[in-house]
Amino acid sequence: MKAMRNKLGFLISVSLKRKIKSKWFIIANILVGLLIIGLLNIDTIINYFGGDFNEKRVIYVVDNANAYESFKDFLSKSAILSFENENDTYDIILTQKSIEELKKDYDSESDKKEFWIVAFNKSEKNVIDAKVISKSFIDTLDYQLLVGAINNTKTMLAIRDYNLSEDDINRLFGTIEVEREIIDENQKSEDEMMASMFTTVFPVVVLPFFILSIMLVQNIGSEVNDEKTTRGMEIIISSVSPRKHFFAKVIAGNLFILIQGILLLVFGGIGLFIRSETSTLVAKGSFDLTEITSKLITPSIISELTSIIPALLILMILTFIGYSLVAGILASMTTNAEDFQHVQTPIMMISLVGYYLSMMAGIFKGATFLKILSYFPFISAILSPSLLVMGDATIIDFIISALIMALTNYLLIKYGLRIYKVGILNYSSKDLWKKMIKALKEK
Amino acid sequence: MLKVENVTKYYGDIKAVDNLSFEVRPGEIFGLLGVNGAGKTTTFRMITNLLDPTSGKITLNGKKIDYNMTDKIGFLTEERSLLTKLTVKEQCYFFGALKGMSDNEIEKSMNSLLNEFEVAEYKERKIKELSKGNQQKIQFVTAILNHPKLLILDEPFSGLDPINVELFKKVIIRLANEGSMIIFSSHRMEHVELFCEKLVILVHGKSVLEGYLKDIKENYQKKNILIKGDLTKKDLENIDGVIKVEKLKDEFNVQIKDKSYIDIVFNNIKKFKIIKFVVEEPTLNEIFVEKVGESYEK
Repeated sequence: MKAMRNKLGFLISVSLKRKIKSKWFIIANILVGLLIIGLLNIDTIINYFGGDFNEKRVIYVVDNANAYESFKDFLSKSAILSFENENDTYDIILTQKSIEELKKDYDSESDKKEFWIVAFNKSEKNVIDAKVISKSFIDTLDYQLLVGAINNTKTMLAIRDYNLSEDDINRLFGTIEVEREIIDENQKSEDEMMASMFTTVFPVVVLPFFILSIMLVQNIGSEVNDEKTTRGMEIIISSVSPRKHFFAKVIAGNLFILIQGILLLVFGGIGLFIRSETSTLVAKGSFDLTEITSKLITPSIISELTSIIPALLILMILTFIGYSLVAGILASMTTNAEDFQHVQTPIMMISLVGYYLSMMAGIFKGATFLKILSYFPFISAILSPSLLVMGDATIIDFIISALIMALTNYLLIKYGLRIYKVGILNYSSKDLWKKMIKALKEK
Repeated sequence: MLKVENVTKYYGDIKAVDNLSFEVRPGEIFGLLGVNGAGKTTTFRMITNLLDPTSGKITLNGKKIDYNMTDKIGFLTEERSLLTKLTVKEQCYFFGALKGMSDNEIEKSMNSLLNEFEVAEYKERKIKELSKGNQQKIQFVTAILNHPKLLILDEPFSGLDPINVELFKKVIIRLANEGSMIIFSSHRMEHVELFCEKLVILVHGKSVLEGYLKDIKENYQKKNILIKGDLTKKDLENIDGVIKVEKLKDEFNVQIKDKSYIDIVFNNIKKFKIIKFVVEEPTLNEIFVEKVGESYEK
């Protein structure tokens, strides 16, 4: 032939095009993109569609103890602290109606939204007695705020009875300014570390890594398997060496997840941008996206990530290469798609173990077992970042993990290629392991 | 020239190919025959560099076959080896590029061959959407896309109707005339007989018969005589030198030990009213059956 082709480059480009130009890749990414953008703006979406949660809770106060003003004041302040929206949560109305009359309204106004009744009466024993009436169950957070406001109201009324001055009241209720000093300024509180881990390491590093490694294994495996089961492999390997073919799959697979990773970042960026433009405030709970996104752009977190990013990237790339080598080797040994489904399960389990251990790092701070496991190939890239943020690992540990992973990859290439060469042209599962062990021994 | 010299291949303790030697010159069509498991595919795989021989040497034009030479080789496997999710065009481009061809060369060769095989209309169709016969045509097109110096065809006629067999034969002969070395295996002895000049018959990986088909037939002692007349099977079976008598539609096929018995048979039956007496060379199938001990045609 006159024009010589770079067959490795050609195989890489074909493999990559086959993945990226597939309509399912495009459909899947549209869905993933929408999901990520949607998840990052889930509170905005929920608010947009509305519901009981964003309607004002109407509270009728039957006041026979001169408690209304204090109660309204305390409850409004609590609402601001808890929901971060000023005076939008509760509509506190002083009523002249009796409890019985209000109860009748429950029946007559059944089609209207619910309201609660808080009745105050004077008490010899407790300064005031209070009664909370509602048609249905009151949410725990709302009830806690109501009870808190009632108790504070009682204290306020009691203090008034003692004719204390404004200053005395302020001194009693004023917040104590605690001066805090930590000798080692580098040490962060466990809460801060946990927050860093769950708000940065998990969504930015661990979760995408886990998803991408699974995608990588499946992609390489299914492609090798497809070429094997259609016997196209015979023609391919009669034209290019198994070594070239193997490296083409590994490189194409890794380029693919690089593109996929970039797309995930772009989706995340779009999601955060939309969030910054349209953000609305919702009730604080265990999962607060506003806090997560704001933490992500905190200078300390950024500087922390910047310092570990080169080492982290090297470790992640080496681990991705490791996963692709293992996927290629195992896929070469299988004779049909079902077999590959079986052999990829242990690979996924290893990745899953890393994922769970990474979560454990937040609970078992300083665990020696986790520290040892963080050097293990395949697990290290997913576990080390968590340990680093928790202060249980250093850049040196990252470098050691990366070196171990690089050595693993070298061994996988050296010995795995022998298996690959025999495996891709083997169509029988009979004596499979015997054949592979024999291949390993051959030079 | 393709030269296979004393090649032996072991799979574990099993000897798949046993000290096999043959040569194929440019323009020759060579048949590699044998029952399933005789070692044909293993031999093809060794020639195409998919397997290393345990011992022996395979050379093409004096050089060991390696990945620097595979661009000159075309290979059609026994089973379909097409990537079924690709279109015909993508498939041609893929295999063509693996053979080191430029896009222009692929396009030109592909269009010409697709027209010759009357499948140009399927160029943009996916392989999996084509019939078995058309898939076989595409497989053949991809095997010869690079105008190979050496073409290996493992059961090229499987799944083809007689018209397409003729089409394939025509192209194979054309390629041989253009100087390609062609090795092929087939279960259909009539195909081998029609255009195969040289052959090897393998039994358990070992060559039991080899050489030019013409010489093989000439040297094969047993001959057939087709006789038509008012005689019975018993009249023929009792003649000296007759091995087997087979009743065909309205005539007998008489197998004799060698050509020296032709006159004896003739003299013995001239008392009957004979309207046909034709001496024929044995068919390749008969030679094969005798050498191998079983027939492909079963």
